[in-house]
Amino acid sequence: MSGSANVGVHVDHARDEDPAKLAEFEARITAGELLEPDDWMPQAYRQGMLKMAEHHANSEIIGALPEGEWITRAPSLRRKLALTAKVQDEVGHGQMLYRVSQDLGKSRDQMLRDLITGKTKYHNVFNYPAPTWGDIAMIQWLIDGAAILNQKTLADGAYGPYVRTMKRINMEEAFHFKSGEDMVLTLMSGTKTQRQMGQEAFDRWWYPALMFFGPPDKPHAEQLPPMRWRMKTVTNDDLRRRFINRFAPAAIDLGLKIHVVKKDDNGMVIEKKPDENLRLDETTGNWSFTQPDWDEFYRVIRGNGPCNAKRLALRRFSYEQGRWVRHAILRGNAGLPPAA
Amino acid sequence: MSNVREQSHPSNGDLTSPAEGDLKPYVVFTQLNRGDPHMYAGCVDAADEQMALQFAREHYGQDQKCVNIWVVPKEAVTATNYDTDLIWRHTDQTYRLARGYSKPVKDKWRKLRRAEDLKEYEKDDLKETF
Repeated sequence: MSGSANVGVHVDHARDEDPAKLAEFEARITAGELLEPDDWMPQAYRQGMLKMAEHHANSEIIGALPEGEWITRAPSLRRKLALTAKVQDEVGHGQMLYRVSQDLGKSRDQMLRDLITGKTKYHNVFNYPAPTWGDIAMIQWLIDGAAILNQKTLADGAYGPYVRTMKRINMEEAFHFKSGEDMVLTLMSGTKTQRQMGQEAFDRWWYPALMFFGPPDKPHAEQLPPMRWRMKTVTNDDLRRRFINRFAPAAIDLGLKIHVVKKDDNGMVIEKKPDENLRLDETTGNWSFTQPDWDEFYRVIRGNGPCNAKRLALRRFSYEQGRWVRHAILRGNAGLPPAA
Repeated sequence: MSNVREQSHPSNGDLTSPAEGDLKPYVVFTQLNRGDPHMYAGCVDAADEQMALQFAREHYGQDQKCVNIWVVPKEAVTATNYDTDLIWRHTDQTYRLARGYSKPVKDKWRKLRRAEDLKEYEKDDLKETF
């Protein structure tokens, strides 16, 4: 899942670069060519791609934490196997994306340390709680669904290693999304209690899903470095529109109600009312909707969300506890048995 | 063969040139288009990396469009064993693949949604999956 890597990542304009080389670089991008790590690129592009890939990698491994908590409590053996496999996939995506980032010039250990000490960020969406199995279902439907919409467009980017990694990740994401749909469909065709659990989880995740694509775009986003250099290929608002057009009618057909909600500091819904702005515009084919609370978005991104401290504390615990493993492996003393 | 060549060396018995040993094998990976993955193409024998690259260009770079080549000393490749290393498990793994869910999911949606709405929704599904 995860990686709306275009969120929370600032990319500078190219400055003090050789104009001829910069022109050649931009011409290659316009021609649809893929760039490789050893190719010439503006410093701002290399730094921007590193930030983006690192943010994405961080998001993959933090994103595994809320779902990992539910492995032991999955409602059936098949669901348990599937969730275990999904969490394994997500951590694997982190491995691939850290590899891409390393080739852009930063050591993996430094990235893991910067994540824990808060020097770098991960995706905001993982700062919300998953208190029930219904949340696991909604995460895999809505958040993985949002991630796929985004990552499909990132796979059209210009940086070869990242593009190839996106393609591979998307192959695996398809399983996460399909099993998410299966969970949501099962829950919403179940008992009254199950449907209520589904609705309450949906109320918690609908707005984080809309925020997933990042804040409304700056004016002329297409001309700013991230899009001009095809680090991303579609604006945040356009991705959000595509998401709502796909998921709002599906949610309604599932029997879910789309609410505007107010949450407490723990991320639990304390007030809700139907979204009165939600309707299909027959002429454009687009759904209108009430915008997320962007003040909340910035509050959470600055570290004050319901689960920020909890997620980083677990990552820190794991890093500190894993010291002896890294120590042994780096010195060739891991004592691994020969491959089976 | 000319008489000179025929008569300048004995035509039987032990060779006078000592055995020099073989060159080292290198595994070759070629990339057919920029941005594509490098794919295994074959092997060449060479004295060093530069010679291996040169031979690889001749052997594997001329039959089809090729934009980049990697050579790796064969001894640097560590591989699994066909007989003793099981990689793809033969038990049912569909719980971890999209195709393990596609049909039941479609059947469940069909009960809830109009065919044209479902078709529109499915347009955004990933096409390449496991």
